[in-house]
Amino acid sequence: MNTTSCLVVALALAAPLSAGCGPQYVRGADNPGIDQPAMSTGLDKDDIQRSLHKLLDQMRAAPIMDEWRIKAGQNDRQTVAIAPFLNETSEHIDPQLDAMLSETETWLVNSSIVRVISSERQGDMIRQVEGAQHPVFDPRHIPQYGKQLGVKYYITGKVGSSDERTDDARRVQYFIFMQVIDTETSEIRWQQKTYITKAVL
Amino acid sequence: MATEDVHHQSRALGAALFALGALALQGCASHSEHMEPVRSALDMGDPHGAISLLDKEMDVPTPADLPKDMGSDNALFVLDRGSIQQSIAAFDASKHDYEAADKAIDMLDLAHDAKDTIGTYVFSGSSGKYQAPPYEKLMVNTLDMVNYLEQKDLNGARVEARRLAVMQKYVHDDLGESDNAVLGLGGFLAGFTFEQSDQVDEALRWYDQALPFTGFNSLTGPVRALLPKGQYRSPRLKQLESADAPPPPAQDDGQGDLVFVVGYGRVPHKIAHRIPIGLALTMMSGALAPGDVAAANRIAAQGLVTWINYPTLGPERGGYTVPACMLDGHYVQLEEAVNVTDQVRVEWKKIEGKIILSAITRMISRFAIGSVAGAVTGQKNGLVGLLVSLGAQATLTALDTPDTRSWETLPARVAIARVRVPAGKHTVHIDARGVRRDVTVDVDKGGWSVVSLMALR
Repeated sequence: MNTTSCLVVALALAAPLSAGCGPQYVRGADNPGIDQPAMSTGLDKDDIQRSLHKLLDQMRAAPIMDEWRIKAGQNDRQTVAIAPFLNETSEHIDPQLDAMLSETETWLVNSSIVRVISSERQGDMIRQVEGAQHPVFDPRHIPQYGKQLGVKYYITGKVGSSDERTDDARRVQYFIFMQVIDTETSEIRWQQKTYITKAVL
Repeated sequence: MATEDVHHQSRALGAALFALGALALQGCASHSEHMEPVRSALDMGDPHGAISLLDKEMDVPTPADLPKDMGSDNALFVLDRGSIQQSIAAFDASKHDYEAADKAIDMLDLAHDAKDTIGTYVFSGSSGKYQAPPYEKLMVNTLDMVNYLEQKDLNGARVEARRLAVMQKYVHDDLGESDNAVLGLGGFLAGFTFEQSDQVDEALRWYDQALPFTGFNSLTGPVRALLPKGQYRSPRLKQLESADAPPPPAQDDGQGDLVFVVGYGRVPHKIAHRIPIGLALTMMSGALAPGDVAAANRIAAQGLVTWINYPTLGPERGGYTVPACMLDGHYVQLEEAVNVTDQVRVEWKKIEGKIILSAITRMISRFAIGSVAGAVTGQKNGLVGLLVSLGAQATLTALDTPDTRSWETLPARVAIARVRVPAGKHTVHIDARGVRRDVTVDVDKGGWSVVSLMALR
């Protein structure tokens, strides 16, 4: 076989290989492992599930839940609203925090022991309390929100972080807190925390 | 028969080397050459055209899309698109681009290793991963903060302020830079963000960092008014506190605050430069090893490939512009908060010697590779050896693309002003380098608003 023929054969063999090398769309149901790798220092589905698993498991066994169960048994289901989690981190994770909020709301609705006020309704109420120019949830105004919405309890939370950068690494440690606040007294009736660390090494 | 074979071989080899050289010349346009049409579009006052050109360069269908590969050049193109989006007041699009580029550039910076350094000394100036200079790292978060403040999104602005703090600490602790003037502007905006978020001590900490830089006279009154509400004190803040009585809070006066941020011109971009080896050797004689000087002199004496390619800084645009800002028909005094061009030049001076040195080292490496290739192929025929040697050197010279990568659409200067206005509607007109922005802002009692203009012509 001469040089030209060798080259043609090599190219023919290489063509299908190179065709399969580009990025491809894949389905999570077909490849469950795609949720596993960390792709940034932000929060992902895995982080949200892990942290909510811990927080909601603790909440299930908390005295405040027992109180709500007793009230529900007396046909007096308490009214609860879920407020946005405050992002006090160095990452733009607000969409992920909104997802955490929705997951918590779903869990609470399905528990059937409290009446949950829709978060959409809260938007109007926040606008009324904070003004149209800056309609952002402010935890200091929880009693006012409670009064406006007729809500007895607020479930809220905040996420802080410690973000450090060196020459060859960046590490973000998240501290996630969730709490139940009595809107009449501003008393914290339950609080729990969980940690997540993400890094580029 | 043997002579015929050698002729065939040398012709084939020559043709192959020529083709390789031509291919290399075609495929090795530097970053600033790719950016030239974008700069021209901006010069002609066509930012939308500049965005389309960047999209084409990144091979993305719309300005909302990011390239699949956010590697070196693409990360910079996205950063440039973010600046231009900000200049046309497309703040959401600008945020999207800045934040994607911020992460990509950080990843490139973290991934930079010894291989990249070796590559720049042996192969090509632009062969390594892009390492953003400190002022670029600080400006990404500073300018993105402007996007959030424009949209009154304090939550987003605080995230950018915290990101700036992380980078500032890194620049201070690891890179040993504590006096980067970009920190003045960053401190001013971050301080304002935390002040409006009612986080007084955090605001005072940031303002304390801005005050030592020139261009923040309008800040002394607001900081003085803030001091009684917070606990944080530094010697500078204590001095300010003892100087005079605080002005009444804006809310008590039925007033609000208006902040103007005006960026204008463009920083000097890098351009490819060629100088004769003799001149380079004279410039860098003190920094080269004696063996390398001897090798370079031999190449110079050979008179063959005697130019070195390296990047240098081009001129800035619009540095002497005087931007104008009018509030309800009256001029507002703007102060120059940061001269970004100065930062570019200072940073360039720090690395220029190393860059010329690496260009000379590359030339010596090329000569060595050419000599080895020539010696191997020219064992039987001296002419073939010479051709191969020259071909290898010429090809490697063509492949040696000077590293002209930089954030080219950074404003050359940024000016600011902070004024107190009665609550209500106000008309604002900002004008710089023929780029205008007219807006009407509604300021609540005790409220605030930020209006910016980035005139990147």
